[in-house]
Amino acid sequence: MRASGASKEIKLGGKVDEFEFFLEKDWSDGLPVVTPTEARVRWMLQDLQRDPDEPVGNIPPAGEPATVRTVAIHALMAGCKPEYLPVVLGGVKLILREEFNMGGVQCTMHGVAPLMIVNGPYADKIGLRGGNGCFGPGFRANATIGRAIRLVLLNLGGGIPGLASATVFASPIRYTACLTEHMARSPWESLAVSRGYAPEDDVITCAMVESPRLHFDDVSTEPERLLTGIGDAMTAPGSWNMWFKSDMVVAMSPQHAVLCANAGLSRDDARRRLCELAVRPQASLKRGGNWRSERARAMGIDPDDDEAPIHAVKDPDRLHLIVAGGVGPITAVCHGWNDSSRAVHGKYEV
Amino acid sequence: MTDDLGFIDPTAGGSRAKIPLAPRSSDLAGKVVGLLDNTKEQADVILETVADILRERYGVAKVIIRRKEYYSKPASEDLINEMAKEVQVAAAALGG
Repeated sequence: MRASGASKEIKLGGKVDEFEFFLEKDWSDGLPVVTPTEARVRWMLQDLQRDPDEPVGNIPPAGEPATVRTVAIHALMAGCKPEYLPVVLGGVKLILREEFNMGGVQCTMHGVAPLMIVNGPYADKIGLRGGNGCFGPGFRANATIGRAIRLVLLNLGGGIPGLASATVFASPIRYTACLTEHMARSPWESLAVSRGYAPEDDVITCAMVESPRLHFDDVSTEPERLLTGIGDAMTAPGSWNMWFKSDMVVAMSPQHAVLCANAGLSRDDARRRLCELAVRPQASLKRGGNWRSERARAMGIDPDDDEAPIHAVKDPDRLHLIVAGGVGPITAVCHGWNDSSRAVHGKYEV
Repeated sequence: MTDDLGFIDPTAGGSRAKIPLAPRSSDLAGKVVGLLDNTKEQADVILETVADILRERYGVAKVIIRRKEYYSKPASEDLINEMAKEVQVAAAALGG
């Protein structure tokens, strides 16, 4: 392992509270970080068979270069174990793909964040959570992998409110956003397998979404009513999904997914039916929110046609249906951003 | 409290390249001004109004309005270079 001369340890003389020191430096998300010392960074990199100076990419919009070592420093600061580092590196590489438009999201008024859905055996091995409470808090892998990505976006990308970021509210999902599926209770193949990967492949999917909205349905006993309700939660005045070809993530609890599967629906059947049912007549969207005649026209819709159906998801490939969460009758719906960001997926090295 | 804290600056190692701001014009009279439409709705209406005012009140010789591909993405290098050749003053302008 080569030591990078660019990140030598600095010594402060005298007594210092290391947690306060880092918080005062604006090098965190507002919560205390693990102080990156040479020894701890060596520990983080010890099992990784990669050159620490290997470039990972430039983080927008500031464009500061990330290397394996600088990502490891941020993973350490976030509280990661060394075995989480391959997932963090895979995630950083993935969110830098051009079609994901991370630079746009770093600057937008919106509050979306890259949600990482990690499939494959390595996610299980490191204890990533897909069961109850998987959006957090409480699970180190979920909490710290997502946080490491955020610290990279803040410190190397400059996506800080008041600097590059024009976000109005941001959102809790910007602290961390990483989970796996609840495969032990899912009636279907994983999201990655549904895309053609092998079950033994370690795959990350990233989609740009808002914090989850919880949709309770402890009443439905057949899929059509269940999916009609979830479809309604996927639509809303003020959501950009209505007026753009945006992505969306829907996380069904195992109970909801099993209800569909027991009636003979595959994952793809459920996904396609949700896209059909997540629709409103234009009139209901004109009463408020971001309806505008130009936006209707841009989608090829006559703004005066009140009955025109407006679908929340224009292309089923942009609905990412997963099975996650614990026991209970709930589906989590995460609305998306705009059509300049396309969800990305790929294998990562472990 | 810690004695003699050793730490790594997580932001060290970057390029830290400083890009100087272009010199600002104090007078627009006789100049060619470029306005970059960010594609948000009604940006064209707003910018054409601004262009009229620039010509009428400030004596601008010519206003060139160009449109980038998408408001959430940077303008392409080609478009920036094209505008740089044609105009003496340029403004990135919002609609919406």
